[in-house]
Amino acid sequence: MSEEVHDWDSHKKTYWAVGIALFVFTFVTIILGIWEPLDLGPPGPTPADYVIGLAVAGTKASLVALIFMHLNHEKGLIYKTLLFTFLFFVSLMALTLFAAADPIVESYDTRETTNGKLTE
Amino acid sequence: MEIPYEVKPRRDTGLYNAKLGVWLFLASEVMLFGGLFSAYVFLRTGVQDGVDNPWPWGLNVHKGFVWLGFLNTLVLIASSVGVVFAWVALKERNWRKYQIYMYFVVACALVFMCVKGVEYNSKLNKHHGIKLVDNSVMEGAILDKTDRIRFEGTRAVFGLQGAHPAFLNDISDEKFPTFTATVQFKKDEEPIVTEISSESQLKKWFTQHRRIAARKLTAERTRYRKELESGNAKPVNLNTSATLVSSEPFNVNAKPTKVVGHSDTSVNYRDGSKVEGKLISDDVKFVMHEVDLQLVLPQKQRDSLVWDVIGDDHAKKQFFAKQQEEYNKMRDYYEGRGETIPDKMLRGHMLNLHYIDHEDHGHDGDHGDDPHKSEAKHSASGGDGEHHDYITVPRDKIKFMGNHGPRYGNYYALYFTMTALHGLHVVGGALVLLFFTVFGKKLYLKNPEHLANRVEVGGLFWHFVDLIWIFLFPLMYLL
Repeated sequence: MSEEVHDWDSHKKTYWAVGIALFVFTFVTIILGIWEPLDLGPPGPTPADYVIGLAVAGTKASLVALIFMHLNHEKGLIYKTLLFTFLFFVSLMALTLFAAADPIVESYDTRETTNGKLTE
Repeated sequence: MEIPYEVKPRRDTGLYNAKLGVWLFLASEVMLFGGLFSAYVFLRTGVQDGVDNPWPWGLNVHKGFVWLGFLNTLVLIASSVGVVFAWVALKERNWRKYQIYMYFVVACALVFMCVKGVEYNSKLNKHHGIKLVDNSVMEGAILDKTDRIRFEGTRAVFGLQGAHPAFLNDISDEKFPTFTATVQFKKDEEPIVTEISSESQLKKWFTQHRRIAARKLTAERTRYRKELESGNAKPVNLNTSATLVSSEPFNVNAKPTKVVGHSDTSVNYRDGSKVEGKLISDDVKFVMHEVDLQLVLPQKQRDSLVWDVIGDDHAKKQFFAKQQEEYNKMRDYYEGRGETIPDKMLRGHMLNLHYIDHEDHGHDGDHGDDPHKSEAKHSASGGDGEHHDYITVPRDKIKFMGNHGPRYGNYYALYFTMTALHGLHVVGGALVLLFFTVFGKKLYLKNPEHLANRVEVGGLFWHFVDLIWIFLFPLMYLL
């Protein structure tokens, strides 16, 4: 490696900033999880909450991957490897969708519907 | 021999070899955890119509664990920052600083695993659930190991084959009785009678006689085959069962998972062994925290078995008051948009899983007509000096009971698989980083850039472990 003179101080600043951002996002995660006014959609954990929760987690994960794992400036071969990882990962998750789209039987107790009302 | 491209990048890849190596490894790790995340999504989406124990929705059942998971997230992020700065310190050729950062990282890993230990201990030893035969579920804690069948034995029968008979592990440790062991292989033979006064002696005796039985059985079978050729075969006739009779009654606390059935006079184990004597009690003492009726249809909830078992109208009133409150919230939400509440929400945990308060338990005095009901609630002092209000659950009303271990339900199976696998990664990563710190000085003096590269690669793995936790935390604790 050519012994280029690195400006480590600016790097350090970035790392601190990312570290602090990760802490902040962790607080965001927990507030989203437990504070009722921020419960999106219908009461309780619902798809809206899953999306926002996973979006925050995804942001944190990207920060770690891009800055701490240096993926923001890596060599092409690593990106190629990760492209395949990504494709395989997506197809792995898609398998569950196939299963959900093609259930074996109707669930056993959905027949007695209550028509949106609590039955006394 | 010099290994090439430890420091210098290869011209074709532009990378030093270890870096490419670790990224390929991380790619395969993504698939490993990806498979488990995919299983999580699959089981989670299918949870509404399942016959499994209900999913323990985030804030209801494991409120306390959220904070432990939160703490662990902070700890792991701190350690991730630490690893980056340790690497920068090496790049700046500052050995002392590098060491300090690395020890900080290892300390974080230690804290993480300790918190995990607290959590596991709590799930495995302090939290239990009981599913009744009508699929209503009570969450809480089983008192004093009363999930076991308490039995006073006088006689035990078991086969001299296979492993040690299962009841042996369930004999109460306090006093081991004096047994008279009898084996009679054939009717016309003298029975072999032995006095046994300790467990180790019994185990030794068992092994010895199992060997004798095996030998006799082989001889008997050989005889049978020979006779078969001559056309006049008497069937194999060998009694390989043994009997233990004790001088005084001994206490057996039978594990329900090992037992096929029991009556007032005997306990039958899965492995075929049997203890005879007198049943002391098979009631389960249970401290109840939550009632979960997700698996009971709304129109059947008021007549659910769980209210008979609790035997307390206060709890029932409390449950339905809370349910009504949640229902109103939900109705307001949906009516505000001109929709009706979907069935799925009516069956969900928001309406059907509620904490039952114990403070003002049983003061309304309106449950006196049925003597069984009014006696159902008791108090007991636990070993830790805490005062518990417990209910007695008859065993024949129970479909399933257990601690919150992997077999309690899909969530717990996944929780333990994923967090334990992640925990192993934490331990492995921390050991490698610790190695670089304790034994790295020599390499540092020889070629600091080489050590920096090793730390970078170790750090990449560490960040990956952090990254997995970033997803595990919301998925397992919050959503």
